[in-house]
Parts: sequence; structure tokens; C-alpha cells
Amino acid sequence: MTDEEFTEFEQSDLSLLETLDHVLNRGLVIAGEITISVADVDLIFIGLNVMLTSVETAREVLRERNKAVTSDE
Amino acid sequence: MPDAFYIYCIGERDALAPLVDEKQAEAIEPQTELELIASDELAAVASVVPLSDYGEEAFAARLVDATWVAARAMRHEKVLEHFAERANIVPLRFGAIYLKRAGVTRMLSEKSESLRALLHRLRDKEEWGVNIFCDRAKLVEMIAMLSPALREMSARAGASSAGQAYLLRKKIEGMRADEARAQIRRVVAEIESRLSEASDGAVRLRLRQAETAEHQDLAAKLAFLIERSRFTEFRAAAEELAASHARSGFRLELTGAWPPYNFVEDSEQKI
Repeated sequence: MTDEEFTEFEQSDLSLLETLDHVLNRGLVIAGEITISVADVDLIFIGLNVMLTSVETAREVLRERNKAVTSDE
Repeated sequence: MPDAFYIYCIGERDALAPLVDEKQAEAIEPQTELELIASDELAAVASVVPLSDYGEEAFAARLVDATWVAARAMRHEKVLEHFAERANIVPLRFGAIYLKRAGVTRMLSEKSESLRALLHRLRDKEEWGVNIFCDRAKLVEMIAMLSPALREMSARAGASSAGQAYLLRKKIEGMRADEARAQIRRVVAEIESRLSEASDGAVRLRLRQAETAEHQDLAAKLAFLIERSRFTEFRAAAEELAASHARSGFRLELTGAWPPYNFVEDSEQKI
């Protein structure tokens, strides 16, 4: 994340992760496409796996950043 | 490259129109503005997004970039919070994109009935998350203290020969672990049932592997739909449960208020 984008959320990483958890799909459906998908040919579908991977990598990034901040102190 | 339409939430046209006109909320991409796409009485809050980022293939590639996603997911949430605080909405999660405006209006008219039913169900309600954590060591200790059978076995182990004592201790360990797992299930079920009574809907969320690896004491994540006027009642019930299970190692974390993301999906009627 660029520094500029980080300044958008001056809140704790915990609440950031919790927010991502809500905004991104947790995968309530077992397989297939993301559940918000409206069945419509015009809609771009997001594969559930891609979305889950995205949440996991976001967690990684934040954890690494946390470590860096802690070791700076 | 042409644009597509990113959809945030759906609501009643008359309620949403003045809020969009106020221009108080920022769209997901800079230099674009929120707009309303309406069909009869229903409308979707939308904004234009470039297909170079949000087209099917481009978007899939972008989603691998966690930082790109995180920034936009947060903007999405801010838009939803803005509208959810001021109107009744059906919240959509991050990433509903239509190639054409007509696709949005068609969806609104085809799903009109279920959308209206959802709006009715979600009226004046918010989602609250309850995360249940359990300190297993503390729970096991408590179980060992309270179970007469386990106490008796411990006493026997103390008075046995080294070999017998070893076997008994192994058995005790196994029983404690079993009992701890059963107790966690019972407490989670009790919390779920008690808080369900104090709310208007409940969902047990699936725990992801990475989540449990990160927080080994995370026992369950629940989501509740709560009418705003009932929140005090809900909170009091949660606090009472937290207090009554604290001694055996349980801890409750309340998060919210969220737009009711977890209450717009049901297997019968996907929107």
C-alpha cells in the first residue's frame, strides 16, 4: 500500500482487519461465485477464492507492517 | 478505455436521492462522484470505475494486490456507513460491477420483489459481530477443578505407582481435552441462543484457517441483526454472558455497528 493510501485509515490494524472481513466476502457459500453476485450477464463476477486470497494477503501485509513498527520502537 | 458501474448499496429512490445530492461521501475511485441509478421506486448507489482496473481480467489481477484491495474496501465501507446511518439500505459487499447502466436497472426491476422484502426486513437494523475467544488453559484448569471424576482420578494417580500414575495422567489429560471441547461448544451455543433472543437474526460465520492460526483462542464468530432500539438490551445480554463465563476463560468481543452485510444473503433468494 502506498503511504498516501495508508493515511486514509488512521485506525488500528485490528479494526482495519475486522472491516476487511466484513466488506470482503468471508465465503458463506461453499463454492462458486461470490454471493452478492446478481445473476446477470452484465455483472462481473468475482471468484470467491480470489477474494479470500486477497483477505489473507491483506492480513500478511498488515502483520508485517506491525512487526516493522514494533521493532522501530 | 470505457467505464463500468460499481454498485455500493440499494435502497428506496426517494430516500437515497437527497443523500447522493449532498455529495458528502467519496466514491471508490478519486475524481469520480456517487450517482443514483434508479428503476421505479428502487435505486442503486453507484459510481463510474475504469474497466482498465475493474474489467473482468484486470480486476482479478488487481485483487491479488492486497494493498489495492484494502484501500478500496475501506472506501466502500465508508460509503456504506454513510448511507446506512441515514437511510434503509441493502448493503452489497466489495466488488459488484456492472458493465452497463441498463444492467443495473434491469437487476433492480427483476429483483424488485426480493429487494423490497429485504429492505423491509433490514429496516432500522444494524449488524453487530460477536467474537468468542477462549483461553483453553484456563478452561481446562476450571474443568479439572469442577469435575468430581477427574478429581478422583487425580487423587488415585497421586497414590499409584509410577507406571500406573503415568497411564492415569494420560487418561486424565485426554478427558480434560474432550471436556474442554464439549464445554466450548456448549458455551458458544448458549451465547448464540441467548443473543439470538435479544436480536432479530443470527448467523454463525465460518472461521478461516488463517484466522484460527493467528488467534488460537478464537472459538467462534457470530453476527447478529439488531434493531437500533434493541441494542441496549442486546449489549446488556452480551455483557452478562461475558461476565458469567469469564472465570472459565471465555472472552467476548463486540464489533459494530456494521451495515448488515451478513443478512442480505440467503440460499433461497440471492440478490
